[in-house]
Amino acid sequence: MASRIAPQAVPGASFIDPKTLARIGNLELLARTVVEGFLNGLHRSPHLGASMDFAEHRAYMPGDDIRRIDWKLFARSDRYFIKEFEADTNTNFLVLLDVSASMGFAGPGSISKLDYAKYLAACLSYFSSHQRDRVGMVTFDNDVVDYVPPSAKHLNIVLHTLDRLKAGGKGELERPLRKISESVRRRSMLVLISDLYHEPEDVLRAIAHLRGKGNDLIVFHVLDRAELEFPFDTASQFEDVESGEKLPVIPDKLRSRYREMIAGHIDTLGRLLGQNRIDYTLFDTSKPLDHALFTYLSNRQRLMRVR
Amino acid sequence: MSFLAPWFLLGAGALAVPILVHLIHKERKNIVVFPSLMFVQRIPYKSLRRNHIRDWMLFALRCLAILLLVAAFARPLVDSSASAAPIAVDGAREVVVLLDRSYSMGYADRWDRARAAARRTVDGLGPQDRATLVLFADKAEAVTGASTEPSALTAAIDAATLGSGRTRYGPALKLAQGILEESDLPRREVVLITDFQKIGWDGDDDVRLPERTTLTHVDLSDEETSNTAVTGVTLQRDFSGDRERVGASARLTNTGAQARTLRVVLELNGRPLETREVSIAPNAAASATFEPFALPSGISRGTIRAGTDALPHDNLFRFVLSAGQALSVLVVEQADAPASRSLYLRRALGLGDRPPIRTEVRKAGQVGPADLRGRALVILNDVAIPGGALGRALHDFVNDGGGLLVALGERTTPNAFGEAAVELLPATIGSVVDRTGDRGATLAFLDYTHPAFELFSAPRSGDFSSARFYRYRAVTARASEGVLARFDDGGVALAERRVGAGRVLLWTSSLDNFWTDLAVQPVYLPMLHQLAKHASGFAEARPWVTVGQVVDIAPEAEGAGAAARAATTELVVDAPLGESRRLAPGESRLVELTEQGFYEVRRIGARPGTERRVIAVNLDLAESDLSALDPQEMTASLARPDAGTMAQSSLLTLTPVERERRQSLWWFLLAAALIALGAETILANRLSRKAA
Repeated sequence: MASRIAPQAVPGASFIDPKTLARIGNLELLARTVVEGFLNGLHRSPHLGASMDFAEHRAYMPGDDIRRIDWKLFARSDRYFIKEFEADTNTNFLVLLDVSASMGFAGPGSISKLDYAKYLAACLSYFSSHQRDRVGMVTFDNDVVDYVPPSAKHLNIVLHTLDRLKAGGKGELERPLRKISESVRRRSMLVLISDLYHEPEDVLRAIAHLRGKGNDLIVFHVLDRAELEFPFDTASQFEDVESGEKLPVIPDKLRSRYREMIAGHIDTLGRLLGQNRIDYTLFDTSKPLDHALFTYLSNRQRLMRVR
Repeated sequence: MSFLAPWFLLGAGALAVPILVHLIHKERKNIVVFPSLMFVQRIPYKSLRRNHIRDWMLFALRCLAILLLVAAFARPLVDSSASAAPIAVDGAREVVVLLDRSYSMGYADRWDRARAAARRTVDGLGPQDRATLVLFADKAEAVTGASTEPSALTAAIDAATLGSGRTRYGPALKLAQGILEESDLPRREVVLITDFQKIGWDGDDDVRLPERTTLTHVDLSDEETSNTAVTGVTLQRDFSGDRERVGASARLTNTGAQARTLRVVLELNGRPLETREVSIAPNAAASATFEPFALPSGISRGTIRAGTDALPHDNLFRFVLSAGQALSVLVVEQADAPASRSLYLRRALGLGDRPPIRTEVRKAGQVGPADLRGRALVILNDVAIPGGALGRALHDFVNDGGGLLVALGERTTPNAFGEAAVELLPATIGSVVDRTGDRGATLAFLDYTHPAFELFSAPRSGDFSSARFYRYRAVTARASEGVLARFDDGGVALAERRVGAGRVLLWTSSLDNFWTDLAVQPVYLPMLHQLAKHASGFAEARPWVTVGQVVDIAPEAEGAGAAARAATTELVVDAPLGESRRLAPGESRLVELTEQGFYEVRRIGARPGTERRVIAVNLDLAESDLSALDPQEMTASLARPDAGTMAQSSLLTLTPVERERRQSLWWFLLAAALIALGAETILANRLSRKAA
């Protein structure tokens, strides 16, 4: 994944992979032509028809809403023109990024979960910003670490903040998410990116604070391939990166059981979150980011049709 | 199989190391940092795998390496007694113990080890066994008869001393062969205790041990030896000053692998004269040259000492110098001879320095019998052999070993020689042959095999053909074999006759420039010197001889007339180690010199320091070459190929330390351990990469 990031001089710019953007761009065009636009499908504005910026005039066509005829122009030119407006969702787009120590884990041959999450957050923030959303970001471990309030001008700050992130600290969900929910005053689109090493019930309880204010919440569960498959074969001491606890482990004996447990955990999370109408997607850091995004956005679009 | 240092086997406990490495350390050293042990903690901990070794090959290699290292440090040795089973299992043994006493056995502790090995052999004899102790160097001597008494053998071994001779295996093995062939005992064994010097065995000795003989060899050679030796001394005499001076130069060798710096001391009569520091590269030679020293009167004993090493015997070199070894020559000429008559003769003889020749010219009428005393040579220059008392004295003089050279001329007519001449001259004198008409005669034949002319046998070593002989006397030789030179017409130029212990030479032309121009030819001087030395029986005294040589002590010890006096003189020969041997009147004066050092020969009744001869005896330096022979090579050539006999070689009588040193099994074990460790490294790396 890292090899797909073009090196740039500007900090934060490295998150924007042109290839990824090209793929996403095609998807956006597809969404605009088929529905009202992919980006609209990405997150409907909670404030319908609120903010409309003029874009261009076009000739009136039968069937157009006569309320959109520019009468001043008609007075000057004696012809009917329709005023076109660019959509502006005026939505707060807030990335909630887990930067606890466990996010710093990188399996053999792959990038760390935090790096993966950074790319993910950067891409999403970039799109949102282009959609004229107000983008912001909160990082947390067992407390809030960085807070970038949502703003239409905060993309660069978000990117810079992402750039200097480092994993550390114990991970907790409920406390930082409660604090975040208190700071989110407007209904927002919240994207939680974490490895979710918590009991599913605890996760649900933590994000209930966010969900309770009518925010639109998306949960991106980032895990390494090693966490999913437990490929170790040498008897070793396993050390919990957050607690420092050590445990002698014979992977051969544990592997199948571990796989069952992590799969059960993911299933439970997906099921519980789905029941609460929260989008949940698992990201495997060994898979390309654009592919994961594409998959997610496609699913999101399909679900929107259903709604 | 046994071990020289068995306590090292405790190191086998180190086998626990690879076990711990495999069971414990391997897990501990791998720490995997994992995001969360949330799920791992829920799985019951299982330690079953800890009790298993997964990499058996790695484990085996590590254990093998440790075992090999432990075994190498324990210094294993194979007990050869098991393999050295006797050929004949029953019956008494006839054992011949061959104990090398050559001086190379003095290297380090070889002699002590050799005697210890001999004692062990004797201790191992059964009650019915019979043994003979043979000491050998260049000769072999059975110091005990076949004995069943171990005490007698042990006493003989204790009394054995190191000799000065060189090693020769042939005589010893032949003696052993003879003893065994005469034995009626069912088992025969030869125990050869030696350092197996290569120079002692050429394989040509026709020795075959009897059938079913066991050859047990005790190899005392060392794998690496280092030896320095004085291999010789060059003595340069200088007569130019008022006193005779001698310059000495010693040749030194270093056969070791390390360069040596030797402190070389020249001693004369026991007092150090000069010391030199000489550095010798490995396996190289060098020389130490000393400043010339004035030679004292009488006999001087010189010694070169060159440092010390494991074989000190060859670091000494002895020589003897005697001042005034000059030939006394009496030249007799006619009473009315002109002053130039013996000019050439006198001048030519006066130029010699090896030896210096003291020449005295006398007129014929002025010579009496007393003038012959102390002379080595009498030259009658155109003078006939006198008669009367002088004639008899001259006869006795020649008979006792003196020399007589008769040169003919105008006055020596056939009639001038009386009856005395018949007993002395090798030819009868004839008339004068005048060759002036044909430009003179030349020498057409010279007996170059004769000692007098041997010096001129090589090409460009003397041109006799250029000399012209215008007149000479025709003579008739009494025996054709006595003619040493002939003219081109076949006439005799030089004839020789032995009279008693002396020699008479007859030169048929003149020794000046009256009848021939030989006196102005380059060959004149060396020819005259050769004739003088040969006729007088001069033999240059050798500064030293080598151990084992047989020397006739009579001539120099007793001077001229020795042969005649031998029958009446009693001599004593004092050996370097103090043993004296009396030579009764009439007994042979041939003495074998068997010890290194100075031999002294003196006459009974003579005053101390007078009439004695000192002989310096040095070692045979071939023995200094300590290169060892493969015992199997000797064993193979001693075996009877037709009888499927014998030759079993063993190290039975070696101490465990010696056996271990010979076998050097530790080296192979160490090499194997290194190979195992190398394989372990490769395998461990591969496994680590695979695990990563």
